[in-house]
Amino acid sequence: MTGRLDRIGLLAVPALGFLAAIYALPLAMLLAKSVQTAEGFSLAEYRAFFADDYNIRVLARTLRVAALTTLLAFVIAYPTAFAMSRAKGIWLTVFLVALVLPMSLGVVVKAFAWSILFRANGVLNSILMGIGMTERPVRMLFTETALIVGAANVFLPFMVLPIYSVVRQLDTRLPEAAASLGATPWFRFTRVTLPLTLPGVVAGSAFVFSMSVSMYVIPSLIVGERQQNLSMLIARSFLYLRNEALGSTIAAILLAIAIAVVLLSGWLATRLGARR
Amino acid sequence: MTRISATGLTRRTLLKSSAAAAFGTLAAPSILRAQSTEIVIGCAGSHTAWMEEIVAPHMKSAIGADILFEGTKSSVNLEKMASNKDKPYLSVVQMDDPVMIQAVEADLLSPITPDAVPNMEDLRPDAVHMDGMWCNYVQPWAGIAYNTDFAPDGVPSWEALWAPENAGQVIIPSLQNTEGMWTLFVAAMLGSGKPFSEAQYEVDAAFAKLEALKPNLLSVYTTMSQAFNLLEQGEITLLSGNFSSYTLPRKAEGVPVDLAAPKEGIFAMPSGICLVKGGPNPELAQAYVNEMLGPDMQAAIADFASSVPANTTVKAGAVVPEGVQIYSPDWAFVAENRRGWIERFDKLMAL
Repeated sequence: MTGRLDRIGLLAVPALGFLAAIYALPLAMLLAKSVQTAEGFSLAEYRAFFADDYNIRVLARTLRVAALTTLLAFVIAYPTAFAMSRAKGIWLTVFLVALVLPMSLGVVVKAFAWSILFRANGVLNSILMGIGMTERPVRMLFTETALIVGAANVFLPFMVLPIYSVVRQLDTRLPEAAASLGATPWFRFTRVTLPLTLPGVVAGSAFVFSMSVSMYVIPSLIVGERQQNLSMLIARSFLYLRNEALGSTIAAILLAIAIAVVLLSGWLATRLGARR
Repeated sequence: MTRISATGLTRRTLLKSSAAAAFGTLAAPSILRAQSTEIVIGCAGSHTAWMEEIVAPHMKSAIGADILFEGTKSSVNLEKMASNKDKPYLSVVQMDDPVMIQAVEADLLSPITPDAVPNMEDLRPDAVHMDGMWCNYVQPWAGIAYNTDFAPDGVPSWEALWAPENAGQVIIPSLQNTEGMWTLFVAAMLGSGKPFSEAQYEVDAAFAKLEALKPNLLSVYTTMSQAFNLLEQGEITLLSGNFSSYTLPRKAEGVPVDLAAPKEGIFAMPSGICLVKGGPNPELAQAYVNEMLGPDMQAAIADFASSVPANTTVKAGAVVPEGVQIYSPDWAFVAENRRGWIERFDKLMAL
């Protein structure tokens, strides 16, 4: 049996080789550049990065936008996943197509679509003025709110699908049993349904947070250069400042954030799974 | 020996055939490239229209070249050249003068010579730089693009960018883009009160004046097409530093935009062309550059892109507005300081 397993394990060799050649090796070279100076090993670039107030503001903005994007995606995705789990036949197909089809649309097209919606004379402002919520157009273009809404829209499927996969397997008799014991709807949701679906929430949040924290095209198009994030600083370092050490340092910091999110979500998922 | 099938194919034969097929597949691009009529040109993203419509068909018929072009920013073209210095894949690059200086310093260019490129002898003397390391081919002029529905009387002065009535109505280019320099130099002139020849070195005065521009800014762009789209739609009134090769063709198509030549002066966009050192197909690359500097291409591009030709035998292209100074800055000074300016600008403009 072990021998057979070993041979099956060989099937992963092409994928591992591919990853090693086009991902791990360049990544190692990149990380090496962040600690290499003419004098040898040094953490000077890291010290310089964290000593600059501007970089700290960019780091804080990157984390804040990623967290809020994840939260907004969760708020929209959670009820959607329940609706999908109850849907059958054509309605389930409609849900899945509505979720997956927009993924085939380029991010650039979506960002332009959002800029049309957010304009002073755009759809959202027309609605707000039409229903009397505001007399003048509200500035939405090039704001952090616009970025969070746009990013949550692009990454929404990555939150919905993991939650849906968990909700679909939820034993519907458990909330019913809680109800038969006198639990209120709020109690049933917070003590039964939510804990059982948390592994899906953790997985979805890890996906969306990781993608939001490293996004480049969406903020470039929706908020521009006045609200830079870490990815925009990396591009600027390599392409315009021609400072590979700085670009590598920021890339390493971004990678550390992504690894922390993956490890934390893995630990959370294990704990929550054990509690179930 | 293990038989794969009844056809007589052995495992060893199969492996040999697969290896040969794999080698053939991997080697094919090199073999084909050796005899290729294809050259890769790095150019600006805003050149796409005329590169596709004018240059590519002309080069096919005139010199038999198949043109592949990669449109991006000058700084990105420089990075591509530097990253592939040992094995360049670009043959010719069209980019801006300050970036050309950096390319020369990094030993990335081959000089253009009259022997290989005879048309360079017809160029204006100021269009040939650093003993032929690069040449300017056509030069658009830069001013302020504006929406004619919202600024029907035009834009007489660069001070309009700072005017209170234009709060939230202005977009300027980042200093990462070469056209971003024009707003910086105008700020230097207005902030220092000195003529351009002196003001271009007054960097502190420029940044102080730029700070006063912040209340009027809707955004700072690195992707010009998006900013121009907002201008066309009336979301903004003024787009600083835009140039004739982009605004005037849109105006001719009936879009409500125009390009102002403010009284303080306008700027000459530094569009250069160079040969990449060690680039593929060097003879074809020289023939390409020769055609780009020749009368036919110069007239066609200058007309299409509302630009001023560099070839003195050509009478075509944009009419430079009369009565205003046209400036060309000290690009060596720009190249030397640009990185620091970009960092300072980003911090100043950040929200």
